[in-house]
Amino acid sequence: MNEKEQKQHFQNIIEQHKGILHKVARAYCPNEDDRQDLIQEMMIQVWLSIHRYNNQFKISTWFYRISLNVAISFYRKNTTRANKYTELTEQLIETPVEDKSENERQLYLLDQFISELKEIDKALMILYLEDKSHTEIAEILGISVSNVGTKIGRIKDKLKTRFSQLKS
Amino acid sequence: MDELEIKKLWQTTNDKLEKSFVIDKKNTEEIARVKIYSILGSMKPIKVFALFVGILWVGIGGIALSSIYLNSFNDANKFFLFSASIQVGLTAISLYIYLYQLITIYQIDITEPIIRTQEKLSNLKISTLWVTRLLFLQLPVWTTFWWNETMLTDWGILQWIMTLFFTLSFIVIAIWLFFNIKYENRNKKWFQLIFSGKEWTPLMKSMELLEQVEEYKDHNAST
Repeated sequence: MNEKEQKQHFQNIIEQHKGILHKVARAYCPNEDDRQDLIQEMMIQVWLSIHRYNNQFKISTWFYRISLNVAISFYRKNTTRANKYTELTEQLIETPVEDKSENERQLYLLDQFISELKEIDKALMILYLEDKSHTEIAEILGISVSNVGTKIGRIKDKLKTRFSQLKS
Repeated sequence: MDELEIKKLWQTTNDKLEKSFVIDKKNTEEIARVKIYSILGSMKPIKVFALFVGILWVGIGGIALSSIYLNSFNDANKFFLFSASIQVGLTAISLYIYLYQLITIYQIDITEPIIRTQEKLSNLKISTLWVTRLLFLQLPVWTTFWWNETMLTDWGILQWIMTLFFTLSFIVIAIWLFFNIKYENRNKKWFQLIFSGKEWTPLMKSMELLEQVEEYKDHNAST
């Protein structure tokens, strides 16, 4: 593949999988400005890794690995800002929840639940919500399929508890 | 709300947001001009400067000390010579670890599975602890640099008590820290006190991540 073809290939991959960039960035980065930096960093890493693509895996598996690895590493560097932002958003959101529609409340609750998860659980949660098969999740995370099942089971339990609290 | 409804909520919300999320073509063209970073290019200028000063210090120190050992060992102040040798030696080891980390971090493959990549990255970051341990181990020699043979004849008991007290205290502290600054003690108060501050955040965060990695791996091993 010559340089021009490689650039075109890169643009096509980004266009086809921009949703992954967006979802991962949204889950790991509540701050809009930081989120743009994170998306930029993910795209740079996709470009720099394009020659490493191994076609034994689906392109989405490869893309998820890069996006999640970058997001977790980015979070490690930006914890201070992320913490400040989380505190602020928690303060801001506390009051108006009751005024929101049922759908908005549930969405808020889901976002809040994801933001409280630890980094690797958060990756698992995104893949679960994206309806990925246990096999693909195992390939992305690098754990066994049975381990994926157990971990998802635990997260689902927590999620169920959280939503049942909302009902009550 | 059941599992399917939650997934549907996530997917419809993201579908809506994604429609308004446009990737600027100019931006991807710009990114496609990015060449593989050089190690030096990816480092902050202050770190490049620190590395340069460290290499200079070890280089000049090593040459000067070798020259003393070879040409004027008998005339040299042995306290200074041995203190300086220990200091330069430990700095050289720290520098080696630092360079090793830089090169290894640079070579990590970000397309590998999350658990493997994050474990490697966290372990590398945590190996920074070795540099800190070695730097603390240098502490006692800073109290013996200026010793000389006239002290043995000219000094009174009080001066000796004071000097030995400082040096012995530094030796005890340095050795204790050398053996106790380790990942297993990350939750101790004294550890968190030493490693508090913004510049240590990525290190502490790496430790938290390694705990998460271990949780996944432990289960993996038992299944």
